[in-house]
Amino acid sequence: MSQYSVSARAYLKLFFHAAKHPQSSVNGVLLGKEEPSGAITIVDAVPLLHHWTSLSPMMEIGLDLAGRHAESMGLTLVGYYQACERIDDTSLAPVGERIAGKLRDGYKNAVALVIDGEKIGSGEAAVIPYTPQGPIWRPYSGESAAFGPGSIFQLSSADLPQRALSLVREQELHQKFGDFDDHLEDVTIDWLRNTACMPSDV
Amino acid sequence: MSLSHSALEKLATFRVNNTRASQETFQNASTVLKSFKRLGDDGWAVLEQLFLASVDVGRLDVADECLRQLGKQFPHSPRVDVLTGIRMEATESPDVVLEYYAQLLDADSANAAIWKRKISVLRRTGKIEKAVEELLQLLDTFYTDVEGWLELADIYTSCNQYIPALQALSHVLLLAAQNPFYQLQFAETAYTAGDIPLALKAFLVAVEMSERDLSDKSPPVGISVRAWLGVKLCSRRLLLNSSPSASNTPVPKNLHLIEELATERVLGVYSSKNSASRAPEGRDVVVGWVGDR
Repeated sequence: MSQYSVSARAYLKLFFHAAKHPQSSVNGVLLGKEEPSGAITIVDAVPLLHHWTSLSPMMEIGLDLAGRHAESMGLTLVGYYQACERIDDTSLAPVGERIAGKLRDGYKNAVALVIDGEKIGSGEAAVIPYTPQGPIWRPYSGESAAFGPGSIFQLSSADLPQRALSLVREQELHQKFGDFDDHLEDVTIDWLRNTACMPSDV
Repeated sequence: MSLSHSALEKLATFRVNNTRASQETFQNASTVLKSFKRLGDDGWAVLEQLFLASVDVGRLDVADECLRQLGKQFPHSPRVDVLTGIRMEATESPDVVLEYYAQLLDADSANAAIWKRKISVLRRTGKIEKAVEELLQLLDTFYTDVEGWLELADIYTSCNQYIPALQALSHVLLLAAQNPFYQLQFAETAYTAGDIPLALKAFLVAVEMSERDLSDKSPPVGISVRAWLGVKLCSRRLLLNSSPSASNTPVPKNLHLIEELATERVLGVYSSKNSASRAPEGRDVVVGWVGDR
């Protein structure tokens, strides 16, 4: 299985998306590239919906637009992420599984990340990777716990979860974050880049 | 210390629109608790609003104080019973809460608010079939409950049951015929259900509803952006291949013209000539998408 590394930019965006809409499901796509070693770097994330997340037309359009954006940056759509409405729900199916499956049609090593509501305030990595086994996607269970030492899933730096938490709590950066749903209400919102809420070193 | 006029206005707007801006509402907590008695009748509504916001942000200490005051002022109130139930939901097990609701419903089976709380507990504990069963019974008794029909549609949609979702939404459209938001939800659900001709028709109605008061020259804003995107998405799909319609909705004869108009309207949204202050973002990818055949 490939190795996956989640960059600061991608992790912060997932985190901000979930933090901005605590009572809704949110979802989006992961952009990345394959390194010469074969490892996959998840470089960025593009947030899609926080409203009517089970309905497909805006999701379809958003996916298409995000794909074009990825291409323009020399990146590929390498995966999907979501946070469920309920804090104790970390399932991918049914909507997420469908979208992840579709992304896998375009990129065979596609991965899905589900945000772990219980861990979001803990300062630990708050995402659960899902990988496909045939048409069904399951939470990754390898020899080493995901995002721990030795795991094929890594964060680009160990302090990311803690940093994400303090950026939300102390600077409320997540309030400057906008997804495709927000953009459709106000097209001056930069949902593809979201540079306004990224710290200068990210 | 009192709430400023603008803070009161904002809280009132939240109440009218049923907005769940809990963190923002909670910021006024200490001021509300000190000054609500000076607000007249509105004061109790603001206190109830603070109660709900406090539960939402996990400040049960403040919630308890609000509930205590409300219970003192309105003893034996069914409305306070609902709040008591919500407070229980925050800390007690679902069984305990359901038992409490069952007792209240025994005493007054027509208490729709409590019934809805019961249904929401059933839904969030995974008892979907039971939730749907109860919700259908509730809607049988309270047919005009738009919120109930919307919840039913939401449950069906989350289980991929799009046709029943559309049926529920059609009741919403009957009950709230002038609301473009629900029309849009119907259109997006029809698309998800695979009934593209129905979705196109519904998106066009949504456009008509939301642009009724707009002058011809101004670009789409708000809901009509989504609606025009929907028109473009559907008309393009129908031009590429015919799509069966489970509802037997006919495809409009002037499909090409509709698609062209949708293209023009969507591009109009992203024209840099529009915005007074900031330029639209992400224009290139939209132009690319719109131009694709």
